[in-house]
Amino acid sequence: MARVLVVDDAAFMRKVVSDALASGGHDVIGEAGNGVEAIDRFRELQPELTMLDITMPEKTGLEALAEIMTLDPSARVVMCSALGQESKVIESIKLGAKDFVVKPFQPERLLEAVGKALA
Amino acid sequence: MSATDMSQREALLRLGASTAEAVAQVLEMFAPEAVDRGEVMVMQEGASPFADVTAGSVAASVSYVDGVTGANVFVLTATGVRKLARAMGIPAPTDGDDAAEPSELELSAIGEASNQMMAAAASAIGVVIGQEIEISPPDIQVLRNPAGASDIYGTSPHATTTTFMIAGEACRLIQLVPAAFVVRMARALDELNDGAMAGVTGGTGHDSEAQSTALEEALVDIKLRVWAELGRTHLPLARALGLPLGSVVELNQEADAPVDLFVNGVRFAQGRLIVTDDGEWAFQCDAVGGRPAPDADPASPSPSPEPEGAVS
Repeated sequence: MARVLVVDDAAFMRKVVSDALASGGHDVIGEAGNGVEAIDRFRELQPELTMLDITMPEKTGLEALAEIMTLDPSARVVMCSALGQESKVIESIKLGAKDFVVKPFQPERLLEAVGKALA
Repeated sequence: MSATDMSQREALLRLGASTAEAVAQVLEMFAPEAVDRGEVMVMQEGASPFADVTAGSVAASVSYVDGVTGANVFVLTATGVRKLARAMGIPAPTDGDDAAEPSELELSAIGEASNQMMAAAASAIGVVIGQEIEISPPDIQVLRNPAGASDIYGTSPHATTTTFMIAGEACRLIQLVPAAFVVRMARALDELNDGAMAGVTGGTGHDSEAQSTALEEALVDIKLRVWAELGRTHLPLARALGLPLGSVVELNQEADAPVDLFVNGVRFAQGRLIVTDDGEWAFQCDAVGGRPAPDADPASPSPSPEPEGAVS
């Protein structure tokens, strides 16, 4: 079970992701509502896993992912976004994300991606 | 009406219908069996699509910001917000005050719903125009003065509106469409009509080949929602709710008509249902993106245009 940082600009979605993670026995140690906050919280909390939305104000998830991977090349990040376009998926994986979950999702799919990222 | 006007109107109707279908698919996931979609209406030039919006309505807007531009505004009453929020799993207030203004969490849920709806719409439109479309984060506003909505969303030469019913409550999708977007859409439709689909959905193969083996291995695990659709119909909500056991609902497709295959909300292919040796349904593909499959029966019908005003 992992200590997880959940990043999404929608409070509703942070709750949905956090509930799904909790149902899988994971510990949500922090939340962030945009890419800038995500980087600050990542530095502060050093989570074992980060769930990262893409379309966010201030700084996008992809920009945040790039900075997080610079801070910690071994960081485990799973992207979670409604933008399932191929270029976004490819860019995420290129930048170092372990998996990409397309919204809306079933909790089982999210937990499967988390399990794969932590393996 | 000139040929140009007709082409523009057709482009707007197609844009509205593709968007509305993607929106309805996402809404249907949140509120199964409780979503009804109305006709796409093209607003007369200069008319405000917000003119008859009730003061106090909630508007969730998501803009196209790359590929094409334009605003999509989903307008709900406070009751509509609560009904959609309940469908998305947010419980009613514990104090029983369901008539109060929507909470922050309820508004956030509407913003997320809009985000997912417009992401699906962007994918669908992107397939038509042959370019990926990026969207902005959602913006939520309570429209105290709908007549002044242009101060928030700006003005646009073209607009469409589509009404949806969510659990009996009307809401509306307003699309503000710049002229350049209409031109792109009209050109794409012309290409479709000419049968020049090659390149519209193509290109990804080359792109994929250029990726490293490791990247391809990572991508093959990405899961997409895939479903086949036999047909559609319109039903008044009251009749749908009161359907007796054993009743028969006729759909708009002949029994031997091709079946549509959807991938993540995008009409992706046409074909036919077959039964496997294990007795399970399967989909046999005859055409992808308007192009016949290499081994398809040449007599198989080609994909028909997007039905306007259909119900998911």
